[in-house]
Amino acid sequence: MIILAIDTSCDETSVAVTDGQKILVNKIYSQVLIHKKWGGVVPNLAKRAHEEHIDVVVNEVLKKVEQSEIDAFAVTYGPGLAVALEVGILKTKELALKYNKPLIAVNHMEGHIYSCFAQNSAGNPKSTFKFPYIALLISGGHTELVLFKDHGNYEMLGQTLDDAAGEALDKAAKLIGLGYPGGAVIEELARKGDKTFLTLPRPMKGSKDLNFSFSGLKTSFYYYYRDLTDKQKNEQLFDLAASYQEAVFDSVLYKLEKAIVQTGVSSLVVGGGVGANLYLRERIRKLAKKHAGNVQFPPYKYLYGDNAAMIGIAAHFKAQKKEFVEDLSVLQRVPRLSL
Amino acid sequence: MKIISKDSITQKELIREIKSVILAGGLVVLPSDTVYGLCVDSRSKTAVEKLISFKRRPAGKPISVFVGSVDRAHTYVSLNKSQNALLNQLAPGPYTFVLPSKRVLRPELESEQGNLGIRIPNNKFINDLIDALDFPITATSANLAGSPPHYSVESLLESLSDKKKQEIDLIIDAGKLPYNKPSTVLDLSQETVAVLRAGDTQVSESYTSTSALQTATIGKKILAHLKKKALDKPAIIILQGELGAGKTTLIKAIGGELGIRNIVSPTYVVCYEYPTTDKHFKLFHHCDFYNIKEGDELNFLGIDQMLKPNTLVAIEWGEKSGPIFDLLTSKACVAVISMSYLSQESRKVDITYL
Repeated sequence: MIILAIDTSCDETSVAVTDGQKILVNKIYSQVLIHKKWGGVVPNLAKRAHEEHIDVVVNEVLKKVEQSEIDAFAVTYGPGLAVALEVGILKTKELALKYNKPLIAVNHMEGHIYSCFAQNSAGNPKSTFKFPYIALLISGGHTELVLFKDHGNYEMLGQTLDDAAGEALDKAAKLIGLGYPGGAVIEELARKGDKTFLTLPRPMKGSKDLNFSFSGLKTSFYYYYRDLTDKQKNEQLFDLAASYQEAVFDSVLYKLEKAIVQTGVSSLVVGGGVGANLYLRERIRKLAKKHAGNVQFPPYKYLYGDNAAMIGIAAHFKAQKKEFVEDLSVLQRVPRLSL
Repeated sequence: MKIISKDSITQKELIREIKSVILAGGLVVLPSDTVYGLCVDSRSKTAVEKLISFKRRPAGKPISVFVGSVDRAHTYVSLNKSQNALLNQLAPGPYTFVLPSKRVLRPELESEQGNLGIRIPNNKFINDLIDALDFPITATSANLAGSPPHYSVESLLESLSDKKKQEIDLIIDAGKLPYNKPSTVLDLSQETVAVLRAGDTQVSESYTSTSALQTATIGKKILAHLKKKALDKPAIIILQGELGAGKTTLIKAIGGELGIRNIVSPTYVVCYEYPTTDKHFKLFHHCDFYNIKEGDELNFLGIDQMLKPNTLVAIEWGEKSGPIFDLLTSKACVAVISMSYLSQESRKVDITYL
């Protein structure tokens, strides 16, 4: 089934065409600009103005596929920024009406789970579903543990009560003067640092549930850092990055292991931007191995961040169960949508 | 196009060869600490334009430069004391530092915000070359826009058409480079959002909270006050205060009063919208301007649409609401709340009702 999917949950305006798990085209606004001859559109300005971007990206995608081949349209309806979600929903409704094709509404987080099962247009890598899985969704906006029992069947095991793990890393990076977003910079510096240099709290370690909290960790780090001299701040740069990253990942890994033990499920999937961190991936692989399980990450780098391809893949499995939006007029954005 | 093997002649001769091509406005491919780079004279309009047209790089996409050393960097970008210390700590290394440009080099290299990316690579040859030239050269990777970078001259040449190859004047071949990632970008430029000035208004109430429970009680009081005042208008809470001042604790308490149990940080998406079970405030918007870098971005968040009766809007990092402050105060009842850290356990909460 050929699906044209749109995701405008946050910063990126992304449009993709998928066929089952295969990604035929995936475009994001910033990429489209690169293919235009320079001198035309100016990037950067009004990053969040999806309204001005959506037609450009949709048209670019429609150049690559025959409109007549499209069987259905899909769109993210939450979670995300309300005004941004609205732009995608409106455009998808318009397309579905214009071409008289069904519309599938997808949860953005569901998309991140399915990003681990994506394939290129040639159908690689081969992947089949062996339910159940534990999905760790970890990004700048989310930190969630979800039991993925079957297509469309999820159980929320735990989630952050305040900040997301990626946000905790980004904010610490900005605090030590490394700019924003800084998760990738922290990873880079942490490589050269001593992770045992500073003992920071491991929030929620004592709690029985599978929820996370990173706000207190960030605060502890802030007050430690604030009282250092400039000389100390510079000398400790690499060690602080390593110690802080370790505290964030320890907290994540601790609850992930707890989830494995509680559910008896040791097949893991990991979606979201922080999953691109190589050190985190190594730790998750070790954890899976310890419990005789396995772990699947998104097969291509661009699938870690927000993208419409993953929405198209999730939509495919909803379409198989005939989960179409029956009345387009009732489809609304749900900014705090949960799985 | 001329290809010289890096080890075939002395470094002095090599630098002389490169210098003559660069000074003539030529395009040179050089090995760096990461990938092969495309280098031109960063002061020359024709050379920079030649580079941009070679790379087919879209306008507004900045191009970084090799500056040789931290000392030399001061000529081209503004650095404060702590940024200078940070550079000394990290350079030379595989980083690109984005800083406010002093507009000495070609403006085409800068970002739209007037920032310049500088590189001080962990590569003595390049830094020596800059010393010999006495000016920076461009440091962009040797590939066309949207294509992956190259670690060998062979793979670069294979990817180019004959016509493109003719645009390159000189290639210094150092064989296959180790697979180091392209440089990590550190954006150290300042934000350009107008910030609310402190002391513009009289503080109405002041509290000291020594527990999360007390903070919640203060939240209740603020909510009750706004309910009474905002009868046919929306209400806005502008929250200010450094990291860890207890802003989240206060917002969670206020949200809890409205029957919302799943409040999380909206930093990433900027605003989250919640339906409530409250009779007066039926909708709650939780915003966080932490990630807002330019005042212009505030115009794309739909703030205007949020400002309807029976709606409560709370804005964390509200000091950045400067550009829309007049809009907020003209349409809504506003409470400005400043939170500050007194000690591990206690926080000061100043409330100003406008």
